[in-house]
Amino acid sequence: MTWKLEGERLPAPLADLGRRAPQALHGLGDRELVRTLESADAVTIVGSRHPSAYGLRVAGELAYELASAGVVVVSGMAIGIDAAAHRGALEAGGRTVAVLGCGPDVVYPRRERALHARIADAGAIVAEYEPGTPAAPHQFPERNRIMAALGGVVVVVEAKDPSGSLITAHDAIHLGRTVAAVPGPVGVAASAGTNRLIKDGAEVARDSRDVLDLLFGVGASEPLGAYDPRPRGPRLGPLQARVLDAVGSGRAGPDQVAVALSVTPREAAVALAQLELMGYVEVDGAGAYARTPLAEPDSS
Amino acid sequence: MRSRSRRSILPPLSDDEALEAARIASAVGAPVEPVALGRRRPFRAPHHTISTAGLVGGGVPPRPGEATIAHRGVLFLDELPEFNRDALEALRQPLEAGRVLIARARHRVELPCRFQLVAAANPCPCGRGASSGDCTCPPQAVARYEAKLTGALSDRLDLAIAVEQPDLTALADERPEDSATVRERVIAARERQEARNGGRANAEVPSESIVLGPGLQRLLADRGGALGLSGRGRARVIRVARTIADLDGAEEVGEEHLLEALHLRRRHER
Repeated sequence: MTWKLEGERLPAPLADLGRRAPQALHGLGDRELVRTLESADAVTIVGSRHPSAYGLRVAGELAYELASAGVVVVSGMAIGIDAAAHRGALEAGGRTVAVLGCGPDVVYPRRERALHARIADAGAIVAEYEPGTPAAPHQFPERNRIMAALGGVVVVVEAKDPSGSLITAHDAIHLGRTVAAVPGPVGVAASAGTNRLIKDGAEVARDSRDVLDLLFGVGASEPLGAYDPRPRGPRLGPLQARVLDAVGSGRAGPDQVAVALSVTPREAAVALAQLELMGYVEVDGAGAYARTPLAEPDSS
Repeated sequence: MRSRSRRSILPPLSDDEALEAARIASAVGAPVEPVALGRRRPFRAPHHTISTAGLVGGGVPPRPGEATIAHRGVLFLDELPEFNRDALEALRQPLEAGRVLIARARHRVELPCRFQLVAAANPCPCGRGASSGDCTCPPQAVARYEAKLTGALSDRLDLAIAVEQPDLTALADERPEDSATVRERVIAARERQEARNGGRANAEVPSESIVLGPGLQRLLADRGGALGLSGRGRARVIRVARTIADLDGAEEVGEEHLLEALHLRRRHER
Protein backbone atom coordinates (compact mmCIF):
# COMPACT_ATOMS: atom_id res chain seq x y z
CA MET A 1 0.00 0.00 0.00
CA THR A 2 2.81 2.39 0.80
CA TRP A 3 5.35 3.26 -1.85
CA LYS A 4 8.81 4.75 -1.87
CA LEU A 5 10.46 7.36 -4.06
CA GLU A 6 14.23 7.86 -4.00
CA GLY A 7 17.10 9.26 -6.01
CA GLU A 8 16.02 10.47 -9.44
CA ARG A 9 12.39 9.83 -8.65
CA LEU A 10 12.17 12.26 -5.77
CA PRO A 11 10.09 15.33 -6.63
CA ALA A 12 12.31 17.96 -8.27
CA PRO A 13 11.76 20.79 -5.75
CA LEU A 14 13.49 18.76 -3.02
CA ALA A 15 16.80 19.12 -4.88
CA ASP A 16 16.90 22.73 -3.64
CA LEU A 17 17.43 21.36 -0.13
CA GLY A 18 20.92 20.21 -1.22
CA ARG A 19 22.54 18.18 1.51
CA ARG A 20 19.42 18.54 3.65
CA ALA A 21 17.32 16.70 1.06
CA PRO A 22 15.68 13.51 2.34
CA GLN A 23 17.13 10.17 1.23
CA ALA A 24 13.73 8.93 0.26
CA LEU A 25 10.04 9.72 0.52
CA HIS A 26 7.60 7.10 1.71
CA GLY A 27 4.05 7.66 0.62
CA LEU A 28 0.43 6.66 0.45
CA GLY A 29 -2.03 7.56 -2.28
CA ASP A 30 -1.24 9.21 -5.62
CA ARG A 31 2.43 8.43 -6.30
CA GLU A 32 2.55 10.19 -9.67
CA LEU A 33 1.20 13.39 -8.14
CA VAL A 34 4.22 13.47 -5.82
CA ARG A 35 6.82 12.29 -8.34
CA THR A 36 5.90 14.96 -10.89
CA LEU A 37 5.24 17.73 -8.38
CA GLU A 38 6.71 21.10 -9.47
CA SER A 39 7.05 23.98 -7.04
CA ALA A 40 5.75 26.22 -9.83
CA ASP A 41 2.26 24.82 -9.38
CA ALA A 42 2.16 24.01 -5.70
CA VAL A 43 1.40 26.21 -2.70
CA THR A 44 2.23 25.26 0.88
CA ILE A 45 -0.27 26.47 3.48
CA VAL A 46 0.81 26.30 7.12
CA GLY A 47 -0.38 27.83 10.38
CA SER A 48 -1.26 27.56 14.00
CA ARG A 49 -2.65 24.54 15.79
CA HIS A 50 -4.62 27.05 17.89
CA PRO A 51 -6.23 29.09 15.13
CA SER A 52 -9.06 31.54 15.51
CA ALA A 53 -12.33 31.05 13.68
CA TYR A 54 -11.06 33.71 11.25
CA GLY A 55 -7.87 31.75 10.51
CA LEU A 56 -9.77 28.53 9.90
CA ARG A 57 -12.12 30.23 7.48
CA VAL A 58 -9.32 31.95 5.56
CA ALA A 59 -7.27 28.73 5.35
CA GLY A 60 -10.25 26.78 4.04
CA GLU A 61 -11.18 29.43 1.47
CA LEU A 62 -7.61 29.90 0.24
CA ALA A 63 -7.13 26.17 -0.21
CA TYR A 64 -10.52 25.75 -1.89
CA GLU A 65 -9.86 28.50 -4.40
CA LEU A 66 -6.23 27.55 -5.07
CA ALA A 67 -7.18 23.91 -5.57
CA SER A 68 -10.03 24.99 -7.86
CA ALA A 69 -7.44 26.86 -9.92
CA GLY A 70 -5.45 23.64 -10.32
CA VAL A 71 -2.81 24.36 -7.71
CA VAL A 72 -1.58 21.49 -5.51
CA VAL A 73 -2.13 22.40 -1.85
CA VAL A 74 0.68 21.14 0.42
CA SER A 75 0.34 21.12 4.20
CA GLY A 76 1.20 19.12 7.32
CA MET A 77 -2.15 17.66 8.44
CA ALA A 78 -1.80 19.18 11.92
CA ILE A 79 -4.95 20.11 13.79
CA GLY A 80 -6.06 23.65 12.97
CA ILE A 81 -4.88 25.57 9.91
CA ASP A 82 -3.21 22.58 8.22
CA ALA A 83 -6.30 20.41 8.47
CA ALA A 84 -8.54 23.27 7.28
CA ALA A 85 -6.29 23.72 4.22
CA HIS A 86 -6.44 20.04 3.28
CA ARG A 87 -10.20 20.01 3.74
CA GLY A 88 -10.66 23.10 1.60
CA ALA A 89 -8.65 21.52 -1.23
CA LEU A 90 -10.56 18.24 -0.96
CA GLU A 91 -13.90 20.02 -0.98
CA ALA A 92 -12.93 21.74 -4.21
CA GLY A 93 -12.20 18.33 -5.70
CA GLY A 94 -8.58 19.44 -6.03
CA ARG A 95 -5.21 17.89 -5.31
CA THR A 96 -3.52 18.02 -1.94
CA VAL A 97 -0.36 16.55 -0.39
CA ALA A 98 0.20 16.05 3.34
CA VAL A 99 3.77 15.90 4.68
CA LEU A 100 3.90 14.05 7.99
CA GLY A 101 6.40 13.93 10.84
CA CYS A 102 5.84 10.18 11.24
CA GLY A 103 5.41 7.25 8.87
CA PRO A 104 2.92 8.05 6.08
CA ASP A 105 0.61 5.27 7.26
CA VAL A 106 0.64 6.47 10.89
CA VAL A 107 -2.35 8.65 11.72
CA TYR A 108 -1.09 11.54 13.78
CA PRO A 109 -2.92 13.40 15.20
CA ARG A 110 -5.28 10.48 15.69
CA ARG A 111 -8.45 12.52 15.63
CA GLU A 112 -7.72 13.40 11.99
CA ARG A 113 -8.20 9.75 10.99
CA ALA A 114 -10.99 10.58 8.56
CA LEU A 115 -8.94 13.35 6.95
CA HIS A 116 -5.92 11.03 6.62
CA ALA A 117 -8.09 8.54 4.75
CA ARG A 118 -9.56 11.21 2.47
CA ILE A 119 -6.16 12.64 1.55
CA ALA A 120 -4.75 9.16 0.87
CA ASP A 121 -7.75 8.58 -1.36
CA ALA A 122 -7.83 11.85 -3.33
CA GLY A 123 -4.25 13.12 -2.98
CA ALA A 124 -1.07 11.85 -1.37
CA ILE A 125 0.55 11.55 2.05
CA VAL A 126 4.35 11.55 2.24
CA ALA A 127 7.08 11.40 4.89
CA GLU A 128 10.80 10.79 4.97
CA TYR A 129 10.16 8.21 7.70
CA GLU A 130 9.61 4.51 7.08
CA PRO A 131 6.02 3.27 7.28
CA GLY A 132 5.12 2.54 10.89
CA THR A 133 7.50 5.15 12.37
CA PRO A 134 5.71 6.73 15.34
CA ALA A 135 5.51 10.50 15.78
CA ALA A 136 8.40 12.06 17.74
CA PRO A 137 8.83 15.72 18.64
CA HIS A 138 12.09 16.30 16.71
CA GLN A 139 10.60 14.92 13.50
CA PHE A 140 8.11 17.76 13.08
CA PRO A 141 10.64 20.60 12.63
CA GLU A 142 12.50 18.24 10.24
CA ARG A 143 9.48 17.70 8.05
CA ASN A 144 8.88 21.46 7.90
CA ARG A 145 11.80 21.81 5.47
CA ILE A 146 10.11 19.38 3.06
CA MET A 147 6.85 21.35 3.20
CA ALA A 148 8.81 24.56 2.62
CA ALA A 149 10.59 23.08 -0.42
CA LEU A 150 7.53 21.59 -2.16
CA GLY A 151 5.50 24.79 -2.59
CA GLY A 152 6.55 27.67 -4.84
CA VAL A 153 4.77 29.97 -2.41
CA VAL A 154 4.50 29.32 1.31
CA VAL A 155 1.43 30.95 2.84
CA VAL A 156 1.33 31.33 6.62
CA VAL A 157 -2.28 31.82 7.70
CA GLU A 158 -1.94 32.29 11.44
CA ALA A 159 1.15 31.76 13.57
CA LYS A 160 2.26 32.64 17.04
CA ASP A 161 5.68 34.10 17.62
CA PRO A 162 7.74 31.95 17.93
CA SER A 163 6.16 28.89 16.33
CA GLY A 164 6.74 25.95 14.01
CA SER A 165 5.02 27.80 11.18
CA LEU A 166 7.64 30.56 11.40
CA ILE A 167 10.37 27.89 11.19
CA THR A 168 8.75 26.67 7.97
CA ALA A 169 8.68 30.27 6.70
CA HIS A 170 12.37 30.73 7.44
CA ASP A 171 13.22 27.44 5.75
CA ALA A 172 11.28 28.67 2.73
CA ILE A 173 13.17 31.99 2.62
CA HIS A 174 16.51 30.14 2.64
CA LEU A 175 15.31 27.96 -0.23
CA GLY A 176 14.36 31.05 -2.25
CA ARG A 177 10.66 30.35 -2.01
CA THR A 178 8.18 33.23 -1.78
CA VAL A 179 6.75 33.64 1.69
CA ALA A 180 3.34 35.26 2.12
CA ALA A 181 1.39 35.88 5.31
CA VAL A 182 -2.29 36.50 5.93
CA PRO A 183 -2.67 39.68 7.98
CA GLY A 184 -4.58 39.36 11.23
CA PRO A 185 -5.78 41.60 14.07
CA VAL A 186 -3.10 43.29 16.14
CA GLY A 187 -2.84 42.05 19.73
CA VAL A 188 -4.13 38.52 19.12
CA ALA A 189 -1.52 35.84 19.79
CA ALA A 190 -2.50 33.76 16.75
CA SER A 191 -1.62 36.66 14.43
CA ALA A 192 1.58 37.88 16.13
CA GLY A 193 3.83 35.70 13.94
CA THR A 194 2.10 36.45 10.65
CA ASN A 195 1.98 40.19 11.29
CA ARG A 196 5.70 40.14 12.11
CA LEU A 197 6.43 38.29 8.86
CA ILE A 198 4.66 41.10 7.01
CA LYS A 199 6.61 43.73 8.95
CA ASP A 200 9.81 41.87 8.04
CA GLY A 201 8.96 42.04 4.35
CA ALA A 202 6.88 38.96 3.57
CA GLU A 203 4.24 39.25 0.86
CA VAL A 204 0.66 39.92 1.97
CA ALA A 205 -1.92 37.26 1.09
CA ARG A 206 -5.41 38.70 1.36
CA ASP A 207 -7.04 36.12 -0.85
CA SER A 208 -6.34 33.42 -3.40
CA ARG A 209 -5.83 36.05 -6.11
CA ASP A 210 -2.84 37.47 -4.22
CA VAL A 211 -1.34 33.98 -3.97
CA LEU A 212 -1.99 33.14 -7.63
CA ASP A 213 -0.33 36.42 -8.61
CA LEU A 214 2.76 35.43 -6.61
CA LEU A 215 2.83 31.97 -8.13
CA PHE A 216 2.11 32.72 -11.79
CA GLY A 217 2.83 36.46 -12.06
CA VAL A 218 0.38 39.31 -11.73
CA GLY A 219 -2.70 38.84 -13.91
CA ALA A 220 -1.55 35.50 -15.35
CA SER A 221 -4.37 33.79 -13.52
CA GLU A 222 -7.03 36.17 -14.82
CA PRO A 223 -9.64 33.60 -15.94
CA LEU A 224 -9.63 32.21 -12.44
CA GLY A 225 -9.94 35.57 -10.77
CA ALA A 226 -13.65 35.81 -11.45
CA TYR A 227 -14.20 32.34 -10.11
CA ASP A 228 -16.01 32.36 -6.80
CA PRO A 229 -17.14 28.87 -5.92
CA ARG A 230 -18.87 29.85 -2.72
CA PRO A 231 -22.59 29.16 -2.57
CA ARG A 232 -24.88 32.18 -2.37
CA GLY A 233 -27.34 32.70 0.43
CA PRO A 234 -30.65 34.56 0.62
CA ARG A 235 -30.81 38.36 0.55
CA LEU A 236 -30.14 40.14 3.86
CA GLY A 237 -31.88 42.99 5.66
CA PRO A 238 -29.75 46.02 6.61
CA LEU A 239 -29.24 45.01 10.26
CA GLN A 240 -28.53 41.40 9.28
CA ALA A 241 -25.88 42.60 6.83
CA ARG A 242 -24.22 44.74 9.49
CA VAL A 243 -24.29 41.89 12.02
CA LEU A 244 -22.81 39.49 9.46
CA ASP A 245 -20.05 42.00 8.78
CA ALA A 246 -19.31 42.30 12.49
CA VAL A 247 -19.08 38.50 12.85
CA GLY A 248 -16.84 38.33 9.78
CA SER A 249 -14.46 40.84 11.31
CA GLY A 250 -14.03 38.74 14.41
CA ARG A 251 -16.69 40.03 16.81
CA ALA A 252 -17.71 36.57 17.79
CA GLY A 253 -20.31 36.95 20.54
CA PRO A 254 -23.75 38.57 20.74
CA ASP A 255 -22.58 41.14 23.31
CA GLN A 256 -19.63 42.20 21.17
CA VAL A 257 -21.90 42.51 18.15
CA ALA A 258 -24.37 44.58 20.15
CA VAL A 259 -21.66 46.94 21.44
CA ALA A 260 -19.99 47.30 18.04
CA LEU A 261 -23.23 48.15 16.26
CA SER A 262 -24.91 50.06 19.14
CA VAL A 263 -27.96 47.81 19.11
CA THR A 264 -29.58 46.01 22.03
CA PRO A 265 -28.38 42.50 22.93
CA ARG A 266 -31.86 41.28 22.02
CA GLU A 267 -31.63 42.75 18.50
CA ALA A 268 -28.18 41.23 18.08
CA ALA A 269 -29.40 37.84 19.32
CA VAL A 270 -32.40 37.82 16.99
CA ALA A 271 -30.26 38.82 13.98
CA LEU A 272 -27.70 36.12 14.81
CA ALA A 273 -30.45 33.51 15.09
CA GLN A 274 -31.82 34.61 11.71
CA LEU A 275 -28.36 34.44 10.14
CA GLU A 276 -27.86 30.99 11.61
CA LEU A 277 -31.19 29.83 10.18
CA MET A 278 -30.18 31.20 6.77
CA GLY A 279 -26.87 29.36 7.02
CA TYR A 280 -24.56 32.39 7.11
CA VAL A 281 -23.10 31.76 10.56
CA GLU A 282 -22.35 28.84 12.85
CA VAL A 283 -21.95 28.81 16.60
CA ASP A 284 -19.53 26.66 18.61
CA GLY A 285 -20.13 25.02 21.98
CA ALA A 286 -18.76 28.08 23.76
CA GLY A 287 -21.27 30.39 22.05
CA ALA A 288 -18.82 32.03 19.63
CA TYR A 289 -20.19 32.74 16.15
CA ALA A 290 -18.22 32.37 12.93
CA ARG A 291 -19.08 32.86 9.26
CA THR A 292 -19.71 29.87 7.06
CA PRO A 293 -18.49 29.81 3.41
CA LEU A 294 -21.94 31.00 2.32
CA ALA A 295 -21.62 34.34 0.51
CA GLU A 296 -24.08 37.21 0.24
CA PRO A 297 -26.01 37.29 -3.06
CA ASP A 298 -24.81 40.70 -4.24
CA SER A 299 -21.16 40.61 -3.10
CA SER A 300 -18.54 40.45 -5.81
CA MET B 1 -21.37 37.34 39.44
CA ARG B 2 -24.31 37.04 37.10
CA SER B 3 -25.03 33.63 38.51
CA ARG B 4 -24.91 34.86 42.10
CA SER B 5 -27.19 37.80 41.43
CA ARG B 6 -29.73 35.37 40.05
CA ARG B 7 -31.49 34.88 43.36
CA SER B 8 -32.15 38.60 43.72
CA ILE B 9 -34.34 38.63 40.59
CA LEU B 10 -36.42 35.58 41.49
CA PRO B 11 -39.95 36.04 42.86
CA PRO B 12 -40.34 35.55 46.65
CA LEU B 13 -41.36 32.17 48.04
CA SER B 14 -45.12 31.62 48.31
CA ASP B 15 -46.61 30.50 51.63
CA ASP B 16 -46.48 26.81 50.73
CA GLU B 17 -43.01 27.03 49.25
CA ALA B 18 -41.71 28.90 52.30
CA LEU B 19 -43.08 26.15 54.54
CA GLU B 20 -41.39 23.42 52.51
CA ALA B 21 -38.09 25.27 52.38
CA ALA B 22 -38.23 26.00 56.12
CA ARG B 23 -38.75 22.31 56.93
CA ILE B 24 -35.74 21.37 54.86
CA ALA B 25 -33.60 24.11 56.37
CA SER B 26 -34.57 23.01 59.83
CA ALA B 27 -33.81 19.36 59.03
CA VAL B 28 -30.26 20.14 57.91
CA GLY B 29 -29.63 22.70 60.65
CA ALA B 30 -29.54 25.70 58.31
CA PRO B 31 -31.02 29.07 59.36
CA VAL B 32 -34.80 28.93 58.93
CA GLU B 33 -35.54 32.61 59.21
CA PRO B 34 -34.44 33.83 55.75
CA VAL B 35 -36.74 31.36 54.00
CA ALA B 36 -39.65 31.38 56.45
CA LEU B 37 -39.86 35.10 57.14
CA GLY B 38 -37.62 36.70 54.50
CA ARG B 39 -39.17 34.50 51.79
CA ARG B 40 -35.74 34.35 50.19
CA ARG B 41 -35.13 31.46 47.86
CA PRO B 42 -32.25 29.16 48.84
CA PHE B 43 -29.02 29.54 46.87
CA ARG B 44 -26.56 26.66 47.06
CA ALA B 45 -23.14 26.66 45.42
CA PRO B 46 -21.35 23.42 46.33
CA HIS B 47 -17.65 23.08 45.50
CA HIS B 48 -16.80 20.87 42.54
CA THR B 49 -15.14 18.25 44.77
CA ILE B 50 -18.55 17.35 46.26
CA SER B 51 -19.47 13.65 46.42
CA THR B 52 -22.53 12.10 44.84
CA ALA B 53 -24.14 11.69 48.28
CA GLY B 54 -23.36 15.29 49.13
CA LEU B 55 -25.04 16.49 45.95
CA VAL B 56 -28.19 14.38 45.75
CA GLY B 57 -28.36 13.05 49.31
CA GLY B 58 -27.46 9.73 50.90
CA GLY B 59 -25.62 8.17 53.79
CA VAL B 60 -26.88 6.22 56.79
CA PRO B 61 -29.13 7.54 58.10
CA PRO B 62 -29.94 9.36 54.85
CA ARG B 63 -29.28 13.08 54.79
CA PRO B 64 -30.57 15.54 52.23
CA GLY B 65 -28.07 16.62 49.60
CA GLU B 66 -27.45 20.07 48.14
CA ALA B 67 -30.15 19.40 45.53
CA THR B 68 -32.76 19.15 48.27
CA ILE B 69 -31.40 22.06 50.29
CA ALA B 70 -31.76 24.11 47.11
CA HIS B 71 -35.42 23.09 46.78
CA ARG B 72 -37.48 26.03 45.41
CA GLY B 73 -34.26 27.94 44.95
CA VAL B 74 -31.07 27.86 42.90
CA LEU B 75 -28.40 25.18 42.70
CA PHE B 76 -25.28 26.76 41.21
CA LEU B 77 -22.49 24.53 39.88
CA ASP B 78 -19.43 26.65 39.14
CA GLU B 79 -16.80 25.03 36.85
CA LEU B 80 -19.27 22.37 35.72
CA PRO B 81 -16.69 20.20 33.85
CA GLU B 82 -14.65 19.86 37.06
CA PHE B 83 -17.46 18.07 38.89
CA ASN B 84 -17.29 14.35 39.40
CA ARG B 85 -19.04 12.70 36.49
CA ASP B 86 -20.99 10.27 38.68
CA ALA B 87 -22.32 13.10 40.82
CA LEU B 88 -23.56 14.95 37.73
CA GLU B 89 -25.11 11.79 36.32
CA ALA B 90 -26.91 11.23 39.62
CA LEU B 91 -28.43 14.70 39.30
CA ARG B 92 -30.15 13.94 35.98
CA GLN B 93 -33.16 12.03 37.18
CA PRO B 94 -33.94 14.24 40.21
CA LEU B 95 -33.68 17.25 37.93
CA GLU B 96 -36.39 15.84 35.69
CA ALA B 97 -38.65 14.53 38.46
CA GLY B 98 -38.22 17.24 41.10
CA ARG B 99 -37.79 14.45 43.66
CA VAL B 100 -34.92 12.25 44.72
CA LEU B 101 -35.29 8.75 46.08
CA ILE B 102 -32.61 7.57 48.47
CA ALA B 103 -32.81 3.83 49.01
CA ARG B 104 -30.61 2.15 51.59
CA ALA B 105 -30.88 -1.29 53.22
CA ARG B 106 -33.04 -0.03 56.05
CA HIS B 107 -34.16 3.34 54.80
CA ARG B 108 -36.11 4.54 51.87
CA VAL B 109 -36.76 8.23 51.72
CA GLU B 110 -38.04 10.47 49.03
CA LEU B 111 -36.99 14.10 49.25
CA PRO B 112 -38.17 17.08 47.20
CA CYS B 113 -35.62 18.85 45.00
CA ARG B 114 -37.33 21.23 42.60
CA PHE B 115 -34.55 23.72 42.02
CA GLN B 116 -33.29 25.90 39.21
CA LEU B 117 -29.95 24.63 37.95
CA VAL B 118 -27.39 27.26 37.03
CA ALA B 119 -23.96 26.14 35.84
CA ALA B 120 -20.85 27.96 34.69
CA ALA B 121 -17.89 26.75 32.65
CA ASN B 122 -14.91 28.17 30.85
CA PRO B 123 -14.95 27.86 27.05
CA CYS B 124 -11.72 25.80 27.26
CA PRO B 125 -9.25 24.81 30.02
CA CYS B 126 -7.18 28.02 29.72
CA GLY B 127 -10.34 30.11 29.65
CA ARG B 128 -9.57 32.20 26.58
CA GLY B 129 -11.70 30.17 24.19
CA ALA B 130 -10.44 27.75 21.55
CA SER B 131 -11.48 29.94 18.63
CA SER B 132 -10.22 33.24 20.10
CA GLY B 133 -6.72 33.03 18.61
CA ASP B 134 -5.25 33.49 22.11
CA CYS B 135 -5.94 29.98 23.42
CA THR B 136 -2.93 28.10 24.77
CA CYS B 137 -4.58 24.73 25.38
CA PRO B 138 -3.32 21.64 23.56
CA PRO B 139 -6.00 20.68 20.99
CA GLN B 140 -6.53 17.30 22.67
CA ALA B 141 -7.26 19.02 25.98
CA VAL B 142 -9.83 21.23 24.29
CA ALA B 143 -11.52 18.18 22.76
CA ARG B 144 -11.63 16.40 26.12
CA TYR B 145 -13.04 19.49 27.81
CA GLU B 146 -15.72 19.96 25.17
CA ALA B 147 -16.70 16.31 25.49
CA LYS B 148 -17.20 16.80 29.23
CA LEU B 149 -19.22 19.93 28.64
CA THR B 150 -21.50 18.35 26.09
CA GLY B 151 -22.01 15.17 28.10
CA ALA B 152 -23.35 15.11 31.63
CA LEU B 153 -26.11 17.61 32.16
CA SER B 154 -25.90 19.91 29.19
CA ASP B 155 -28.91 18.41 27.42
CA ARG B 156 -31.02 19.43 30.41
CA LEU B 157 -30.08 23.08 30.18
CA ASP B 158 -32.61 25.42 28.58
CA LEU B 159 -30.48 28.53 28.25
CA ALA B 160 -26.83 28.87 27.29
CA ILE B 161 -25.25 32.29 27.41
CA ALA B 162 -21.74 33.12 26.26
CA VAL B 163 -20.36 35.53 28.84
CA GLU B 164 -17.89 37.71 27.01
CA GLN B 165 -15.09 39.84 28.35
CA PRO B 166 -16.89 43.05 29.27
CA ASP B 167 -15.73 45.96 27.20
CA LEU B 168 -15.01 48.58 29.84
CA THR B 169 -15.78 51.60 27.69
CA ALA B 170 -19.12 50.08 26.74
CA LEU B 171 -19.97 49.37 30.35
CA ALA B 172 -19.19 52.90 31.46
CA ASP B 173 -21.91 54.64 29.50
CA GLU B 174 -24.54 51.98 29.81
CA ARG B 175 -26.65 51.82 32.92
CA PRO B 176 -27.80 48.24 33.41
CA GLU B 177 -31.21 47.59 34.92
CA ASP B 178 -30.93 46.99 38.65
CA SER B 179 -32.08 43.71 40.17
CA ALA B 180 -35.22 45.21 41.68
CA THR B 181 -36.48 46.35 38.26
CA VAL B 182 -35.74 42.98 36.71
CA ARG B 183 -37.40 41.26 39.60
CA GLU B 184 -40.60 43.21 39.03
CA ARG B 185 -40.66 42.04 35.43
CA VAL B 186 -40.04 38.46 36.53
CA ILE B 187 -42.87 38.60 39.04
CA ALA B 188 -45.22 40.07 36.41
CA ALA B 189 -44.25 37.37 33.91
CA ARG B 190 -44.73 34.69 36.51
CA GLU B 191 -48.20 35.99 37.34
CA ARG B 192 -49.10 36.01 33.66
CA GLN B 193 -47.96 32.39 33.33
CA GLU B 194 -49.81 31.25 36.40
CA ALA B 195 -53.02 32.94 35.28
CA ARG B 196 -52.78 31.22 31.90
CA ASN B 197 -51.56 27.80 33.07
CA GLY B 198 -53.78 27.35 36.12
CA GLY B 199 -51.14 28.24 38.67
CA ARG B 200 -48.17 26.61 36.98
CA ALA B 201 -45.00 28.02 35.47
CA ASN B 202 -44.24 27.47 31.77
CA ALA B 203 -41.57 24.91 32.74
CA GLU B 204 -44.28 22.70 34.24
CA VAL B 205 -46.76 22.58 31.37
CA PRO B 206 -46.61 20.31 28.30
CA SER B 207 -45.15 22.20 25.35
CA GLU B 208 -48.16 21.15 23.21
CA SER B 209 -50.37 23.38 25.33
CA ILE B 210 -48.36 26.43 24.26
CA VAL B 211 -49.94 28.10 21.26
CA LEU B 212 -47.70 29.03 18.33
CA GLY B 213 -48.97 30.81 15.23
CA PRO B 214 -48.87 28.84 11.95
CA GLY B 215 -45.89 30.89 10.70
CA LEU B 216 -43.82 30.00 13.74
CA GLN B 217 -44.80 26.34 13.57
CA ARG B 218 -43.62 26.30 9.98
CA LEU B 219 -40.37 28.01 10.95
CA LEU B 220 -39.68 25.36 13.59
CA ALA B 221 -40.69 22.51 11.29
CA ASP B 222 -38.67 23.81 8.33
CA ARG B 223 -35.52 24.90 10.10
CA GLY B 224 -35.58 22.83 13.29
CA GLY B 225 -34.20 19.85 11.40
CA ALA B 226 -31.40 21.90 9.89
CA LEU B 227 -30.43 23.07 13.36
CA GLY B 228 -30.41 19.53 14.70
CA LEU B 229 -33.30 20.17 17.07
CA SER B 230 -34.56 17.00 18.75
CA GLY B 231 -38.11 16.54 20.03
CA ARG B 232 -36.98 17.41 23.51
CA GLY B 233 -35.03 20.40 22.23
CA ARG B 234 -38.08 21.61 20.33
CA ALA B 235 -40.26 21.43 23.45
CA ARG B 236 -37.66 23.38 25.40
CA VAL B 237 -37.35 26.07 22.76
CA ILE B 238 -41.14 26.53 22.74
CA ARG B 239 -41.29 26.91 26.53
CA VAL B 240 -38.44 29.41 26.53
CA ALA B 241 -40.07 31.40 23.70
CA ARG B 242 -43.32 31.54 25.69
CA THR B 243 -41.40 32.80 28.75
CA ILE B 244 -39.63 35.51 26.74
CA ALA B 245 -43.04 36.61 25.43
CA ASP B 246 -44.31 36.72 29.03
CA LEU B 247 -41.38 38.89 30.05
CA ASP B 248 -42.31 41.19 27.19
CA GLY B 249 -45.92 41.25 28.34
CA ALA B 250 -46.97 39.83 24.97
CA GLU B 251 -50.20 37.85 24.57
CA GLU B 252 -48.84 35.73 21.75
CA VAL B 253 -45.42 34.29 21.00
CA GLY B 254 -43.88 36.41 18.24
CA GLU B 255 -41.17 35.56 15.74
CA GLU B 256 -38.53 37.49 17.64
CA HIS B 257 -39.37 35.58 20.83
CA LEU B 258 -38.90 32.29 19.05
CA LEU B 259 -35.66 33.44 17.40
CA GLU B 260 -34.25 34.61 20.71
CA ALA B 261 -35.16 31.26 22.26
CA LEU B 262 -33.36 29.45 19.42
CA HIS B 263 -30.35 31.69 20.01
CA LEU B 264 -30.28 30.79 23.70
CA ARG B 265 -30.50 27.08 23.03
CA ARG B 266 -27.52 24.95 23.90
CA ARG B 267 -25.68 23.90 20.72
CA HIS B 268 -24.66 20.40 21.71
CA GLU B 269 -27.34 18.65 19.72
CA ARG B 270 -25.71 18.90 16.37
